[in-house]
Order: sequence, then structure tokens, then C-alpha cells
Amino acid sequence: MRIVIAEDDPLLREGLALLLRAESLDVVAAAGTPEAFLEAVDEHGPDVAIVDVRMPPTHTDEGIVAAVEARRRRPGLAVLVLSAYVEQAFATELLGGGAAGLGYLLKERVGRVEQFLAALRRVAGGGTAIDPEVVAQLLTRTRPDAALDRLSPRERDVLAVMAEGLGNVAVAERLFITEGAVHKHIRSIFAKLDLAPDDRGDRRVTAVLRYLEDARRRG
Amino acid sequence: MTPPGRGSTTSVTNTTPARRGCHHDKLYRLPASRLVPYRLRPMSVSIPNDEARDLRRDVQVRIRGTLDALEQLVGGLVTAILALAALVCLGAVALACLVGVGLRLASTALRVVHGLADRERDRLSQRGPQLIGPGPRPTQVRAALANRDTRRELGWLVTHGTLGFLLGLLGLVLPLNAVRDGTFPLWWWLLPEGEATSSLGFWPVHGWLGVLGVFLLGVGWIALAVGFAGGLARLQSWPGRRLLTATADADLALRVTELTATRAAALDAHATELRRIERSLHDGAQNRLVAVTVLLGAARRALTREPADADALLERAQSAAEQALAELRAVARGILPPVLADRGLAGALAALAASCGVACRTDIELPGRCAASVEATAYFVVAEALTNITKHSQARHATVTLRRERDRLLLRVEDDGAGGADERHGSGLAGIRGRIEAHDGGFALTSPPGGPTVLEVELPCGS
Repeated sequence: MRIVIAEDDPLLREGLALLLRAESLDVVAAAGTPEAFLEAVDEHGPDVAIVDVRMPPTHTDEGIVAAVEARRRRPGLAVLVLSAYVEQAFATELLGGGAAGLGYLLKERVGRVEQFLAALRRVAGGGTAIDPEVVAQLLTRTRPDAALDRLSPRERDVLAVMAEGLGNVAVAERLFITEGAVHKHIRSIFAKLDLAPDDRGDRRVTAVLRYLEDARRRG
Repeated sequence: MTPPGRGSTTSVTNTTPARRGCHHDKLYRLPASRLVPYRLRPMSVSIPNDEARDLRRDVQVRIRGTLDALEQLVGGLVTAILALAALVCLGAVALACLVGVGLRLASTALRVVHGLADRERDRLSQRGPQLIGPGPRPTQVRAALANRDTRRELGWLVTHGTLGFLLGLLGLVLPLNAVRDGTFPLWWWLLPEGEATSSLGFWPVHGWLGVLGVFLLGVGWIALAVGFAGGLARLQSWPGRRLLTATADADLALRVTELTATRAAALDAHATELRRIERSLHDGAQNRLVAVTVLLGAARRALTREPADADALLERAQSAAEQALAELRAVARGILPPVLADRGLAGALAALAASCGVACRTDIELPGRCAASVEATAYFVVAEALTNITKHSQARHATVTLRRERDRLLLRVEDDGAGGADERHGSGLAGIRGRIEAHDGGFALTSPPGGPTVLEVELPCGS
């Protein structure tokens, strides 16, 4: 897995590179500005980019803009966005066009190395990684989507963990239930959200996007 | 740094009449481009005790006040001459109207009067409470004569063109006579016999006794100027202040508009300041803490694999945590430095100067206090400037000067270093600019290669 890092804070950039290299991952470049990041993407053709949202010059959403541009230049590039705080607008901006190969995590999650690496691998493999904090914010809102209201509390829990991008086994572990129970809940969720099994695309991602879409409509 | 034990040095400043601060209501709207470098010429004088210092300060204030009043009188003289000319034109137009040919000219003449009144409003607003004009006025002769504001403007035109003119003339003649008679002993012998007289014209001077008399007359002129210039200036501007303000009813709507704009600007400044704090928290301290968690995470992983590496990682994590603490302290201090509350701005700046790596003199005159955020900004500008001087300028001396001109705070930091300071290199100066612009103040930096470097800042006091 070839990785490019875009992070303007030198200490954090070094720390991140150090951590990933210690895990024998291939960090091919670490950039401090959006321009340097895009150059590195062109030059090295990485598999994954880890991008900070706030980058120079204005320190607002340059990172997201650069990430979107990088994916335009290099379709299929997996992007894991790190953010200092949860901003739903960023999440929807990033995931609006589909969630495959995308992740959005709070920066401090990097410290939980195993979970962070798992999220990184998931994103690199075309999956999704969404921060529990983002998911929690989305789920605690009262939603106008009647279909979502039909979910039982347990099903909402399952969808929440799913929305982070975890697979069935991981969901079962997190919620201390059997894999069979997870399967049952997920089938029920799909049914309540009217996601037929023959629908094209990943129904799991579609379910998550329903939340994001709904949140954006309300926001 | 001022060596301890050497008595503190205070400077006495000989100030040319400094530019007046902007009037109160425009507090937050002064563009940076309006910043005109004010001239302060410090000269060092050691003063043994407080009493002498107070006396000297008193004299200084007096002299400054007198020069200021004279400048104001002469400024008034300019508009008074224009008013007199307009008055003559108006008379001519009125006469022409009587014979039936002047009506066309009348509206032009009225426009001239309005323009002149607006000019005087601006001038007076620069030197005191703002005068808000009445807005558009009719230029049709009949409507104009019925219009109260126009009638008041005409009233002002008459008084200012006559009384104001005479007072302005006095403001010009007084100092000229003072200089002429005061220096009379130096050049009277150049005059042909019988033509040597005092400024009053009579009383030919023949011997040293007469010269002494003329010299004393010069001293008398100075005494008159010191004693009466302020009163004369007030008297001269009084009709304008009374007659050129919009009447109460018309005034109110304009005032509301004005205050709304001012308030919005104040809120903008506040939001900019909050944004700066938010950024320094998110991009500074929080990033350090994230680095701590990243390094701790890496250390934990290393413990299971290669325990020897863990220590180095923990070491780095610790230093990152220390940096986070330092940044948090800096942010907290950036919001409001504790020393400001303890010692006031003057004391806080003196403390900064004393701890500066370059010998730094302070010359601070600050009656009263300013808004807390303004004092904090002034403090930071000086702190940043002195840091820059210590680090980059190779200067041997620095001077910090602070004055309050009505509701503006004027700050100047000067050094005798290598010059060549550039805002584009290093974030320090850019940071200074950001802070000042948040308060809608002005900022000017001159730093030619070879020095000296002068940083001038102007801030609204906000109180």
C-alpha cells in the first residue's frame, strides 16, 4: 500500500509518517500544502492519501478540495480525511458522490493505532470509514425520513456501527452480539429502508448514505 | 536591556502638532490607508525627580495644546476666506436677482454654500464630536430659503466669513508677531535707522532698552497665545458646531444609520478576533495533542514489538505534550495577558521593554485606559515587534512610543538595526497586521535596507 500524507503541521506529519513506517507501510511522500500534495499524487501515484481538512492558505477546507481534486485526477484513489473536529458539511461534501474508498475520521483516532490501521486498510480496499462521532451526530438528530424512524433502537445501533464502515464480524464484536444476530438486524434494516437485494451497488453504503443525504437535506 | 541600578531614563518629546484622531463615531471605520505617520522627535533628558517630570509634562501639554489651537485657527482661516468669498458672491447674485437675471446663478451659489458647509463639517469632525450633515438639500431658491438647514448654513456662512475670519487672522498673526518680536534682538541692527519698530508698528527703537522692550513684547505675544489660543479656537468653531449639525429630527435617522454601521463593524472585529483564537486552538494546541496521541499509540505498538524504541517515542510524546501546554498558555495570554490587568498598558509595555534583549527605551503617555482588547492588541504588537528586533534586526537600541490622541491610540516602535524587515517573510508582521485590522486600526512599516526600522500603529481606543 503506497501512501501520501497531506498535513500542514510538521510535528503531526512526521508523527504520522513515523507511525505508518513503523507498521511497515510505504509512505511515499508527506506534503505540507495542497499544491505539494497534488504534485506528490501525480508523481508517485499512491493507493491511499491521508489528508488533513484544514490546510494553508486559509485553513478552512483546502484539504477536502485537494482530496476531491486528487480523486478527479486519479480515479480510484482512496482518501482518508482527518479533521480536527466533526463538520457535517465536510462529511457530506466528501461523501456526496459515493462513499467507496473514502474515510472521514477525527484526528485523534490515529492514536488508536489498530483501529486506525483497520480503517486505513478498509478505505484502501474500496470500503468506507466514518468516524463514530460523525455517525453519532447524524443519528441523534430527529429525522424527517419516516423510513429511518421505523428502525428499532438496536437496528439503529447496528446501522451506526455499519456507517463507520465496519464489516459484519466487527459489528458483532463491537455490539457484543452474534454474527447471526447482526445478519438478522441488517436484513431488517434493508427491508425497512426498502433496499431490495437485487439493487445494484452496495446496500450497506446506500443505507449509510441515506443518513448523510437526509442530514444534508435538513442542514 | 536597561541595566538594573541605572536610573530609569525618561524622555521628553517635542511634538509637532500631531494629526488629530478620527472622531468618535467613525471609530471602527478608519481605513488603514488613512494612517499618516505622526512625527515624534524624542530627545533624551535625564530627570532627577518626579516633581520636575510632572512640571515638564505640564509644560509640554500646554505647548502642544497651544500649537494645536493655533493650527486649528489657521485651518479655520482657510474655510473662513472661502466663506467670505462665497458671501461676496452670494451678495452679487442677490443683487443680480433683484434686477431679474441672477436666478440661474442662485442654485449654483447654493451648491457652493452646501459644499463649503460640508467641508467645514469634515474639518470640525476631525477635531471633535462628529457633525452629521442634513443630507440632500433643495437647490431651488424658493425651497432652499424655506429649508431650515439651508438657512442655518447661511447663518454659519455669515458668522464664519466675518468673525471666524478675524479670529483665524489672529491665530496667524499671533505666532508670527511672537517670532518676529522674540527674535528682534538678533536682527534689529540690520534695519535702517528709524525703521526699527516692534510688530505694532509705532515706537521706533533706538537703543538696547528699546530692543529689550520689543523682546518683552514678543514674550507677551507668546503668553497671549498660550493663554487665549484655545479659547479663540473654540470661539471660532462654535458657530459651526451650533449651526452645521443637522436639526434634531433629521439627525436621528442619520445617526441610527451611522451607529448601525459602526456597531456592525465592531461585531465584525469581534468575530475576526474570535476566529483567530479558534484557529490558534485548533491548529496549534489541538494538533500538538493529536501528535501526543499518535506518538503514544506508536509507543504502545512498539512495546509489544521492540520495547527499546518505545522510550524514544514516549520522549517525543512528552515534548509534544509540553509544546501543547506552551501553546495553550500562549493562547490564554493572547486572549488577555495577565500583566495588563495587573499593571495597565503602560506598566505592561515597560515590563516588555525591560525584558527585551536590546536596550529599549519607553516613552509612554497614556491618560486613562482603553478597551481591554485594544490594550491587549497594543501589547502584542509591541511584544512581537521587540521579539523581531531582538531576533533579526541586529539593533543596539529600540524605542517604544505610545500616545493617545483623543480616541486613537498611536504606537510607534523604532530600532537602529539593519532594516530590510518584510511582512512577507515570517509570520510575525503578518500576525501584527491581522490583529490590528481586526480592530480596524492602521499599520505602517518602513524598513529600508540599512535601517532604521519604524513600525507605526494606530488603534481606536474603543472607550
